[in-house]
Amino acid sequence: MNAPPIQRLVTELAKLPGIGNRTAQRLAFHILRADPQEAYALADAIREVKERIGLCEVCFNLAEGPRCRICLDERRDPSIICVVEEPNDVIPIERTHEFPGRYHVLGGALSPIDGVDPEDLKIAQLYARVAEGGIREVVLATNPTTTGEATALHIAEGLRERAPDVTVTRLASGLPVGADLEYADEVTLGRAFAGRRAV
Amino acid sequence: MIVTRVRLRDFRSYAQAELALGEGLTVLHGRNGAGKTNLLEALYFGCTGRSCRTSNERELVRFGASATRVEIDARDDDGPHSLSVGFQPGEAKRLRADGAPVDRLVDVAARPLVSVFLPDRLELVKGAPALRRAHMDQLVAALWPARAATRRAYTSALAQRNALLGRIRAGRASRASLPAWDAEVARHGIALRDDRAAAVELVREGFATLAGELGLAGEPELRFRPRSRAATAEELAAELAERTDADLERGFTGHGPHRDDLLLARDGRDLRAYGSQGEQRIALLALLLAEREALAQARGAPPLLLLDDVMSELDPERRERLAARIARHGQSVVTTTDLAHVPGAADPGVARVAVADGALRPDTPAPAWEAA
Ligand SMILES: Nc1ncnc2c1ncn2[C@@H]1O[C@H](COP(=O)(O)OP(=O)(O)OP(=O)(O)O)[C@@H](O)[C@H]1O
Ligand SMILES: [Mg+2]
Ligand SMILES: [Zn+2]
Repeated sequence: MNAPPIQRLVTELAKLPGIGNRTAQRLAFHILRADPQEAYALADAIREVKERIGLCEVCFNLAEGPRCRICLDERRDPSIICVVEEPNDVIPIERTHEFPGRYHVLGGALSPIDGVDPEDLKIAQLYARVAEGGIREVVLATNPTTTGEATALHIAEGLRERAPDVTVTRLASGLPVGADLEYADEVTLGRAFAGRRAV
Repeated sequence: MIVTRVRLRDFRSYAQAELALGEGLTVLHGRNGAGKTNLLEALYFGCTGRSCRTSNERELVRFGASATRVEIDARDDDGPHSLSVGFQPGEAKRLRADGAPVDRLVDVAARPLVSVFLPDRLELVKGAPALRRAHMDQLVAALWPARAATRRAYTSALAQRNALLGRIRAGRASRASLPAWDAEVARHGIALRDDRAAAVELVREGFATLAGELGLAGEPELRFRPRSRAATAEELAAELAERTDADLERGFTGHGPHRDDLLLARDGRDLRAYGSQGEQRIALLALLLAEREALAQARGAPPLLLLDDVMSELDPERRERLAARIARHGQSVVTTTDLAHVPGAADPGVARVAVADGALRPDTPAPAWEAA
C-alpha cells in the first residue's frame, strides 16, 4: 500500500480521461522523483488555468475574462454561428481558416445512457442567442457519432420551430462515420465546411 | 484468400501443434475425443478472434496453461498474410493482422473469411430470432466490409433511445429529445434492414437449389422478414413516433429492425417449428453453402468452410451430393470419425490428417508451394 498522499495523487490522476490506474501510478512516481521545481510548476499551471480561464459568457468557449478571443474579435461575422460539442472542437475548425463566424460550445452531446439531457447542454442559451436576432446561419458541427448526430437533429428541430428564417446547416459528410472532430485532419474538415448543406 | 498454415499453442487439448492446409479439401479423422473439433475451433478462432463453440473463452486455454495462442498464415493475390490471436483469461485479447495490432479481426480487410457448421449451430434454425439477425449481420459484414459499422451504430442508437424511454418513464427527462433519437434510430435502422434484405436476396435462390439438392423434400424457401416495411428513414421514424406511448409503457423500443427475422421454410411452413432434426440440418447446410457461393461471387474467393461431424448424420446419397458440392471449389476442412463416411476422401487432391493424442499426422505430403 502506498502512503496516503501518493494514493491521493494516483486517485486524482486516474480521474483524467484516458489515464488508467497503471498509468496514474507511473505518473505519480514520476512526479515523486521529479525535481521539486518541476512538480510545483505543474501544480501552479493547474491552479492558474483554473483561476484564470473560464467559459465565455456568450459562446461558452474557453476565455480569459468574461468573453473569449473570438467573441471579442470585431472581424468575425456575428451572423453565423458554428455549434460544437467541446472547446477542443474549436481548434481544428480554426486551423482550416474556412469559418468566418462565431461559435457556440454545447459542453457535450445528448446521451440518455449517460444521463445527458438537453437541459444539461447549452442549448437553451443557443436558442436565446438566435432569438436576439441578427443570426443568418447556424452550422451544426457536432461529431458524426450517434450522440453527435442526435444532438444536431434535436437542435435543428428546435431552431426550425423557434427561428424558421435562420438557415441551419450540417457539415458535409466526408468525415469518417463515428469520427471525432478533434481528430479530423484540416483538409477533410475544410472540405466538410465548404460543402455544408442545409438540414 | 486461403489459409496455408495454422499454429496452436495451449489451445484446448493441444499443447503445441501445426498444420499446413492445401487449397482444396482436408479431412480430419480420429476417434471420439481425439481433438478434431478443437482444431476446427482453432482455425475459426485464429481467423475471427472469437470461438464458434463457446462464449466462455477460458475454456480455450489448455488445462494447466495460463494463455493460448493461435497463428494463421494465409495467402491471396497480393501475397502472404498473417493473423494471430493471443488470449490470457482476464486480459484483453492480443489481435494482430500482418503484424500490426488491431481491435477486431472481423474489421480487417485482408483476412480469410470462414463459414462453419457445427452440430450445435442448429440453434441458428431452431433458436431465437436474435441468432438469425446476428447471422445476417455477419453475412452483410462479410459481403460488404464497409457496412459492418451499421449494426453497431443501430445498436448504440437503440440503446440510447431505450435509455431515454426509461428516463422519461422515471420522470427524469422530457419527451422533447425523443424525436431526435427516433430519427437517429431510423436512419441506421433503414440502412441495416436494407443491407439484410440485399444479403438474403443474394442467397435466396442458392438456398432453394442447394436444399433441394441435399434432399429437403418439397419447396424450400428462405425469406427475410423485416419488422418494418417503411420505405424511408422518415417513414420509420414516424412509425416509431406513433408507438411512443406503448414504448413508454414497456420501457423499451418495440418496433424496428431489432425485431427482424429470417424464415427458413419448407412448403411455406417454418422449419423452426415443423422441421425434423435432419431437415433442420440440411437447411442449415444449404444456407451456409449458399452464403459461401454468394461470398465467392462478391469477394472473389469462397470462405474457408469448416464442417464438423456432418457426414455421419446424412444418408449415403446425400453424403455424395454434399461431398460433390464441397469438392467443386474452395478450401474446406471436414471432420469425421470414419474416413469411409467422406465420399472421395481417398482421391488424390484430398489431404487426410490423422488426429490422435494431441498430435496431427498428415498422411499426404505438404502442398507443393510449401516446399518451394
Ligand atoms: N481447455 C482444455 N484443455 C485440455 N483439454 C481439453 C480442453 N477443452 C477440451 N479438452 C478436451 O478435448 C477433447 C475433445 O476434443 P474434441 O471436441 O476436439 O474431440 P473430437 O475429436 O471432435 O471428438 P468427437 O468425434 O467426439 O466429436 C476432450 O477430451 C476434452 O476433454
Ligand atoms: Mg467433435
Ligand atoms: Zn465566446
